[in-house]
Amino acid sequence: MSDFIVEQGYKKFRGYDIEKKQLNFKIFKIFFVICNYVNNKLYFLSRTRIIKNIVSKTTFKNTNAMCKQQFNPIHCIVPPYMLNKLMESGNKKIADLAINSNFRSFRFRNDRSFFQKSSLHEKTILGVIAKTTGKITMQMTVYDCMQKTDFTGAVKLWDSKTNKKITSLAAKNVIKGGKASWDFYSQLFGRNSIDNKGLLINQYVHYDKGMDNAYWDGRRMVYGDGDGIVFTSFTSDIDIIGHELTHGVTEHEANLDYENQAGAMNESFSDIFGIMIKQRFNNQDVRKSNWLIGEKVMKGSKYAIRSMKAPGTAYINHPELGDDPQPATMDKYVNLPNTQSGDWGGVHINSGIPNFAFYITAFNMGGYAWEKAGRIWYAVLTDGGLAQNAKFVDVKNLTIVHAEKIFGINSPELKAVKQGWQEAKV
Amino acid sequence: MKIKLVRSGGFIPIIKAAEAEVNLTDQEFAGLLDIIKSSPNAPRVKDGNYYELTVGSNSTPVDLEKVPDEYKALFVKMKGDLKIVK
Repeated sequence: MSDFIVEQGYKKFRGYDIEKKQLNFKIFKIFFVICNYVNNKLYFLSRTRIIKNIVSKTTFKNTNAMCKQQFNPIHCIVPPYMLNKLMESGNKKIADLAINSNFRSFRFRNDRSFFQKSSLHEKTILGVIAKTTGKITMQMTVYDCMQKTDFTGAVKLWDSKTNKKITSLAAKNVIKGGKASWDFYSQLFGRNSIDNKGLLINQYVHYDKGMDNAYWDGRRMVYGDGDGIVFTSFTSDIDIIGHELTHGVTEHEANLDYENQAGAMNESFSDIFGIMIKQRFNNQDVRKSNWLIGEKVMKGSKYAIRSMKAPGTAYINHPELGDDPQPATMDKYVNLPNTQSGDWGGVHINSGIPNFAFYITAFNMGGYAWEKAGRIWYAVLTDGGLAQNAKFVDVKNLTIVHAEKIFGINSPELKAVKQGWQEAKV
Repeated sequence: MKIKLVRSGGFIPIIKAAEAEVNLTDQEFAGLLDIIKSSPNAPRVKDGNYYELTVGSNSTPVDLEKVPDEYKALFVKMKGDLKIVK
């Protein structure tokens, strides 16, 4: 008796359970069909939005954020093991829908994977570069070293959050130059600061007593006040601020060795982007610009630190410095020892050669340098194809590849690039 | 003992130098050099300045941030005396 009751009770319980499961599965099938219908309608819209959303993100902090990244509910709700089961369903309609859904999931994953791996240049070509999603804002601080060499004792003068008024001319200069550089990279290339991840830009002014230099130490940009005889404050020229900030960009992108030709290329990228940042700030096209680096920093109206238009002529017969030692062409390459007193193989000297190649290229293209030549050089710097020990000829080849990709094989831009390097005899 | 501080590198690569007469024994000078010599593996600062300390024909790359307190005044003066080598 008791066994019978137990057995009946068990059957009753099992029957209820089975019926409930069957009912749940029927509800789920209806829900699945509705979702697929909505899915088909939204497919193209959501796919486009997903791509744009993906490329706007430089990193995926949460790799499981699939449902947050996309707009198709079925890919979030139906887990893969259910989808696999439905694909084997005896009901042809259900199986077809499941296979269809699975295929779309596959394509979404591949789109995501492709755009995560693609270079900025490829994203630009595909027209999916994001500029607006997730607004990026500049973060910058300026410190006063009070003519000492101890960074820990430096006093904060300004930061972009509070944006308080300041009186220091050097601080005003680096804020202006820093903003111009940040705007250049952000507005033209969608770049989010030095590392493309929103790095805080730290600038230190009044470093040391009368230091006639500016540098990037891997964490910060540092400026001296100049000796007052040959040089004024190294904050006086926007191109110098852009030059130093670009050293940070190069470090995060290509990390070129700081010696010999790779080092000269490193310096040249900084000069090239430094001059374009100044030209853009002053709204100068390739003809209006004088292509001089550090014309205010160097005292005397006929002197500058470097000339990209005519390397070797920035200063001639200077009472203290003599003549500008930069060559413009490869046949005049200066072989110096790879030591600190040899300027690591003449990185600041031989940079005249690729600087000249860029000037010729940009000048022959006409208009604003950043619109065409700048795009090519930025693609070379950021596409990951540049070896750390790259030589001038490697950069030449890459600029040709990118000019072809962006402007086409028969384009005047490609001809201009080739001519630029030809004039520099690389 | 006559020592010479040579500065190189920088945004515009110019060589500057300054000399000073110091009362140091060879042993004291060797001890100082041991403290302030640059690490050969130190990362290269972009556009950075570099210093060498020279006695006679021997030059040693040095890091002036490592200068001990008792020698700081000497090096501050030498840095102030640096002149462009033409």
